[in-house]
This record gives sequence, C-alpha cells and structure tokens, in this order.
Amino acid sequence: MKIVTSRFGEIEFKDEAMLTFTSGILGFPNATRYVVLDHDRDVPFKWLQSVDEGGLAFVIMDPGFFKPDYRVTVEPDELAELGVAEGDEIIVFVILTIPSADPRRITANLQGPVVVNRRTRLAKQLILREELTTRYPVFPDETSHQPADEPLPLAACRD
Amino acid sequence: MLVLTRKLGEGITIDRYIRVVVLDVKGGQVRLGIDAPHTIQVHRDEIYAKILDENKKAAATASIPVAALERLGTATS
Repeated sequence: MKIVTSRFGEIEFKDEAMLTFTSGILGFPNATRYVVLDHDRDVPFKWLQSVDEGGLAFVIMDPGFFKPDYRVTVEPDELAELGVAEGDEIIVFVILTIPSADPRRITANLQGPVVVNRRTRLAKQLILREELTTRYPVFPDETSHQPADEPLPLAACRD
Repeated sequence: MLVLTRKLGEGITIDRYIRVVVLDVKGGQVRLGIDAPHTIQVHRDEIYAKILDENKKAAATASIPVAALERLGTATS
C-alpha cells in the first residue's frame, strides 16, 4: 500500500505490516490503521504513522531502553480484544513527546502504553489502572538547552 | 445529561450490570463505589484527559533529534 505523509512524503509498505487499533489512540478515534516506520540507524525510536491521516504520526519506543522495571498489566478482556491466543507475542511500546523548543526533554507516556499482538496485528492504547505519569523524562539528568539538530532521515519501512 | 438526586447509601444502576453507590459525602467530596463487570473500564476523568492531552502533544512532534539519540545510546549501552 502507498500513502502520502506530511513528514516522510510518499511511503510504501506491505499490507501485512499494518497495525489495526481496535479503538484508536485516545483523541484520534478515526485513525485506526497505522504502520511502524524504522530508521536506517540503530536507534530505539520508531514512528507510528497513521495510514488514514497522513499528517498524524507518533514517535514510539520500547520502554525497556530507559525504564527496565516498567511492567504493563493487560486485562483479560483487552487480551481478547487483541485476539491473543496461546503462544502469541505481545509487544509493548510507549508514545514519546518531543517538545520542539527543547527536543532533548523527551518524555514518555507510561500511563497510556500501546500493546500490539504481533500475530494478529491488532493494537490498542491501554489506560493502566495504576496511576503513572504521562510525562516520564527519558533523559532524567538532561539540563542543557541545546538547539535541535538535523532530523533523522527515514529509511525503508520495516515490519 | 440525566440528573438524579441520591442520598447516602443509595445508588444507580446502569445497563443492568453497572452499579454506582454513594458511600460517603463529606466536605464537598463524594465517595462512590462502583460495581461493574471486568470488561467495563472505570477511570477518573482526569486520567482520560491526561492521556488525551499527552497524545495531542505527542502528535505534534515534527522530527527526532539525533543528538538526543546518541546520548541515549551511550546512557543505555
């Protein structure tokens, strides 16, 4: 499938790579289909690009990179929603906010992680029962204010 | 919006299986007890508002700063 995006221009990907959100990301109920875009460099950041709205994309990351003790409880009904069967692998990632004024002050939303069933390609943003921050600093000791540098070029889409 | 008046200990039933009871009223605060099937998600309004607000902010991200990535690389390796 080919789509036109505001950040990356035209991109092409295999239909099987697409993720379908069972109830959209909170605040964006009409965008339910996404594709994960990777960079050509070995970095933990990826883009979650909406297939339905070219201008909508989120930066996502495996929380294990900055918070190894982060655990997500997926309720039984949520597992059912994702079509989870025995042996399925669930991937968890968090959505990052990168403020344009000071891009090094990246924060991660720990209260609303996204879970994906790798087999069924169904995904969901969870709202965890325990109260966590939506603004967890990814670089806790970051105090310097340096200007943003060049955006990272996008490589081919990868599953 | 449907408006109902309830006394302490009284409740309302929503769609047969969801029950909300007034447990305590003190100093402008109301304590509610909620009985609902596990499939019904119950959260304080603020939690939804907080996530929605953060999602909107996250969607405004234009690009990924490379310097920050490299810093993180050294921090985690």
